[in-house]
Amino acid sequence: MSEPARVLHARLHLLDRQVVRESDDRLLCKVDDLEVRPGDRPYVTAILSGPLALGPRLGGLPGWLMTETDRLFRGEERPGPYRIEMSAVTEIGSAVRVAGHRQDLALERWLTRNVVSRIPGAAGTQEQDAPDDGGREAPENALRVRERREDRPGTMRLAGLLGRTVRGPSGEVAGNTVDVRLVQDGPLLAEVQQAFRPAGLLIARRRAGRLFGYERGPGLWRPSLLGALVRRMHGEIRYAEWDQIESYDDEEITLRVAWDRLRTTADL
Amino acid sequence: MKRLVGVTLGILTAFGGFVDIGDLVANAVVGSRFGMSLAWVVVVGIIGICVFAEMSGRIAAVSQRPVFDLVRERMGPRAGLVNLGASFFINVLTLAAEIGGAALALELVTGLNYLLWVPPVALVAWLVMWRVKFDTMERVFGLAGLALVVFLVALWQLGPDWGALTTQLVRPPQDEGVPTYLYYAIALLGGAMTPYEVFFFSSGGVEEKWTRKDLVTARANVFVGFPLGGVLSLTIAACAATVFMPVAAEPDSLGQMVLPVAEGLGRIGLGVVILGVFAATFGATLETALSSGYSLSQYFGWQWGKYVAPGRAARFHVTVLASVIVATALILTTIDPIKVTEYSLVFSAAALPLTYLPVLMIANDPDYMGEKVNGRFSNLLGSFYMVLLLVVALAAIPLMLATKAGQ
Amino acid sequence: MISQARPALLALLTSLLLSACVSPAWDDHDYALKAGKTAESAVSAVRFARSAVAYRERITGPYAEVLLTEAVQDLSSVNDQFGGVQPPSDASDRIRDEVLRLTEKAESEVEDLLIQARRDGVKDPATALRDLDRLASELSDFAEKHR
Repeated sequence: MSEPARVLHARLHLLDRQVVRESDDRLLCKVDDLEVRPGDRPYVTAILSGPLALGPRLGGLPGWLMTETDRLFRGEERPGPYRIEMSAVTEIGSAVRVAGHRQDLALERWLTRNVVSRIPGAAGTQEQDAPDDGGREAPENALRVRERREDRPGTMRLAGLLGRTVRGPSGEVAGNTVDVRLVQDGPLLAEVQQAFRPAGLLIARRRAGRLFGYERGPGLWRPSLLGALVRRMHGEIRYAEWDQIESYDDEEITLRVAWDRLRTTADL
Repeated sequence: MKRLVGVTLGILTAFGGFVDIGDLVANAVVGSRFGMSLAWVVVVGIIGICVFAEMSGRIAAVSQRPVFDLVRERMGPRAGLVNLGASFFINVLTLAAEIGGAALALELVTGLNYLLWVPPVALVAWLVMWRVKFDTMERVFGLAGLALVVFLVALWQLGPDWGALTTQLVRPPQDEGVPTYLYYAIALLGGAMTPYEVFFFSSGGVEEKWTRKDLVTARANVFVGFPLGGVLSLTIAACAATVFMPVAAEPDSLGQMVLPVAEGLGRIGLGVVILGVFAATFGATLETALSSGYSLSQYFGWQWGKYVAPGRAARFHVTVLASVIVATALILTTIDPIKVTEYSLVFSAAALPLTYLPVLMIANDPDYMGEKVNGRFSNLLGSFYMVLLLVVALAAIPLMLATKAGQ
Repeated sequence: MISQARPALLALLTSLLLSACVSPAWDDHDYALKAGKTAESAVSAVRFARSAVAYRERITGPYAEVLLTEAVQDLSSVNDQFGGVQPPSDASDRIRDEVLRLTEKAESEVEDLLIQARRDGVKDPATALRDLDRLASELSDFAEKHR
């Protein structure tokens, strides 16, 4: 490989960003979650969006209300979240840009058809998106059929790795996961780009929510008051490589090695 | 004139914060009870809103991301939802008050009860948001709001005792309690820095398709609009301190607060001030209604904005329409519009830190900003205001309870 | 989170709005303070009514009417609120009579002016101004005594 693979922090750089359609700059949705295909070398397969992706992340009553309302109106047997293949992603910056003629989410289409187009002066409702015309490569087309299903068998959601308790090899609590480091050196997606692969976990000693990007190098600890405060709240932050993970489930993550032997974030 | 047209977004935004219906009356109340002794709070508010509006405008110009995108992205879905709930609640309450305020201005002209004016005002406001182009909208109502400058003329015409006004700056009246004084300080600061200002300002920047090249425009909007709004709010207080304070009159309505202009300048002044009040409250109606659409859409990632045809942003326009309907219904219950804003002001103080924290963080993030990250000075001020806003947020509700909302 | 916070917020708002209304008087001193506050509010309303008359040449008819209407509304709500407070003792009765005599007089006076203004302008502005001034100063003397 000529240049080093791109490295991202999933929560910081991907989750909750705006998704924009490349062809006409239309705002499509948010990156509510990421779909990961697990295995020895897991990789990110798709962006998940809509209430069925956001709801579980919110948790509690609001999350439950969101998912149940969506299920109620969908009327499908096993509805799943809105899904965008990672191979369609063309740029990850302050927004995530995707290629193709992806349709809007169902609520937008329904409101355009049944409410907005009945108000006098509603220009633009005719430009309603044509359904995906299959103009893209075959693999995406083949997957499109399954787009609306509950989580595809044998996949997991990336947000499931965040905020989990981490235990060391002898069962002692080591900390909490605060972010997932992604490296773009996974398998080739749709023959156009390499997939992002979860390469390891950022673990904070204390449970204190998000890192707001202050896990990155000291050059980015500004304003200094805020940076110092956030890092203090989290205690020490260390990095566990993917192959240092013994096992993970919905509750806990167990490491193969003790906390002391994990890398510090300073040498990332 | 051309320069002035370029900064109408800043003017419209700032007037919605400093001289909307609640603040028009609150400034007059403060002037009549405390003289100019709370002027320093307005100055603190002007600097604070300038610091954060400048950051949000710069972020919008460089990355095309408006403020609620940043809230969701940096604070995450849960804290973002808390902020969304609080801001949306405040927005709709304030929207109701502003519709009532514009209707009250029409009552002053026609003598017809304001409740009769509420439905037409709401309908026209919605039509403007539905059909009129964003820059036409901001120009018309931003420039018309400038009519409020008549307060400055009136103050000069009233010939106040400038020496007395200056002494008041550092000497609060003895007969008011300290908690009441602090309560009004928080209300003024909350009014100056209400979150919907940055929602509207940064989204407006995106609507106007700002890019890196427009950074100068963005700055000009901030540094003309907000200080102008602040100066007007100080002038209103000074007018009230001149006319009402000596006779122990305390204004509590729109009609009473414009009295100094009528006394100083007669019928013409009265006409101009009512026009200004109408433009400012109507502008604030647009600002709060659109902000409710902006914040909800940006949290969920929906297509928003008036830069696409109305039929292309269905969820956004349905949100705006629904907010207008709910707010109209609320104000038609004959609830006092000015009372409504007094309460929503204090609640907005509680929502302030959650809005400005992500703005400060992202203005420092080179992934977004490249070389346009905050300088040392912005960060110093930004950090200071974060601490201040946190204190304000914690003190707001206890003080409100202790003083029975400043009675 | 938010769905639980909403009802709490509403409850808080309602309780605040209620607490802003007049609460019962606990003793004579408290009652006198309330009487003083009442007189203060009445002074403010009378002053605005006075301005409406004094500047009638410089302002428009609808605006003068709005000012007078608001003054009447303020005075009548002041009377209603204070009239509804139970005086705790005989001594308080005297205070009650004194302040209500003034505020009720103010209310009827301003009401008269409003009726005249709606018809064809205030008939005798000079006398009206004198009366309002006297009322205002009596009221503010009373407020000064009971604070």
